[in-house]
Amino acid sequence: MDLLIKFLSNTGYALADPRQLVMLCVGMLFVYLSIAKKYEPLLLLPIGFGIIVGNIPFFKGFGLGIYESNSVLHYLYFGVTSGLYPSIVFLGLGAMTDFSSLLARPKLMLLGGAAQMGIFFTLLGALALGFLPNEASSIAIIGGADGPTSIFLTAKLAPHLIGPIAIAAYSYMALIPIIQPPIMKLLTSRQERLIRMSEPRLPCRTERLLFPVVGTLLCCFLAPASIPLLGPFFFGNIMKESAVVERLANTARTSIIDTATIFLGFTVGASTQGDVFLTSKSIMIFCLGALAFSLATASGILFAKFMNLFLKEKINPLLGASGVSAVPGSAREVHLMGLKEDPSNYLLMHAMACNSSGVIGSAIAAGVLWSLNMN
Amino acid sequence: MYGIEAINAVNGWAMASVGALIVFSGLVILSFVISQLHKFVPLLEKINGEKAAPKDTISTPPPPAPIKPPDIREQASLFQPIIDTLGASFPLSALYTQANKQNIPHPHLTISAFRDAGILAPQGDGIFSWDPHKLIAPPQKPAEPA
Repeated sequence: MDLLIKFLSNTGYALADPRQLVMLCVGMLFVYLSIAKKYEPLLLLPIGFGIIVGNIPFFKGFGLGIYESNSVLHYLYFGVTSGLYPSIVFLGLGAMTDFSSLLARPKLMLLGGAAQMGIFFTLLGALALGFLPNEASSIAIIGGADGPTSIFLTAKLAPHLIGPIAIAAYSYMALIPIIQPPIMKLLTSRQERLIRMSEPRLPCRTERLLFPVVGTLLCCFLAPASIPLLGPFFFGNIMKESAVVERLANTARTSIIDTATIFLGFTVGASTQGDVFLTSKSIMIFCLGALAFSLATASGILFAKFMNLFLKEKINPLLGASGVSAVPGSAREVHLMGLKEDPSNYLLMHAMACNSSGVIGSAIAAGVLWSLNMN
Repeated sequence: MYGIEAINAVNGWAMASVGALIVFSGLVILSFVISQLHKFVPLLEKINGEKAAPKDTISTPPPPAPIKPPDIREQASLFQPIIDTLGASFPLSALYTQANKQNIPHPHLTISAFRDAGILAPQGDGIFSWDPHKLIAPPQKPAEPA
């Protein structure tokens, strides 16, 4: 009997904490949204299930939790804290990305730059709320709308905030269909949303091969701290474009990125243990993350409108919203919004150009913020 | 410390403005460089051509045969389901995007071949229509009964 009571007192039922129960509900909500509503299932399902696993109450000291140094989860989490998984994800992303539309219309890259302004506005907001510069920088990068970049920078600058920042970044990426359309509608007129983009030219193979080399040299020389992200990204892209290592490129864009995404999502979810996650700081991070994401979207749109003041051939300002690096969610949203106004106006290819420049922009921003915090 | 005071204390204004400036100027430079890339392409191709040509040969090698899709009819049959979903007229970009999504090999090349063959007919403003009659009855060859 004594043994049974001892056993029962060590079960999750006896050790349950209300905060863990709240997180279990959040995890189940994520799983529901990913399966039933298909909101970014590739991200939300691993994260949601990770939250469930990470919040099962257990007896501390047995090497079970993600924060216990000898646990299996802790070893898997090393890929997050070291910045390994984000680099691998970028490799796969590079091997997937087709820069043709960006090469055909390089000025769209400016929209990717403009959308990064949300990061720096949020940096000021986070500093004003009393966050330290390293914490504020990690929170601000949520505005880049790039999960791996947010995790990478936070792992370097404020590892104690990885959980809330990663969850906020991925949640907002999943909520793109809810967050971006009202901002797009608010900041553009119907006439602007109806603007058609002309057919882009098809860049030749040499151009597509030169781009990853030029991109690596220019971006990594400018912000060397972005090498761990942009190096693999452009390497993945040259593997794809060269067409001489098709097997490697195919592995990078399938098995490798999928493996990294599984472990990244699952361990980030598991790192949100109720007792360390449910704090006032996390709530502030969520609010600032929403602000960052909205400001990034608005900056891109407003900059596109600004560019239209000088351009003969006008740009559809909706494209500015895809300057955030949530690939391909924001491009898809811009495309759908364009189709709603005019069912024959296909903006997807142009939006993907802004989207891919947003990836480069947010990686540079991460490198710059990291450098600024090192000084 | 909160508010403006907190921003001033850590030199936040400079941090944000310098950061924004670096990111934006980086992308402006990259954008400018890639807009000039096409100018280097003929130069690079010329250098490659010179290197490839052996010095002691007098006769110039015949130009490489233009790469054509193996069979335009076969390619057209792969594209037909996409055309059906796109409707009577569509922008070329939409066709290209859909072809890419469905992993049809070399969509650039094939679309270009369709245009050359007149199967994709321009309607103006970047809109094209699909003309399957060109496939059924090519101008030089009378159609044979199936």
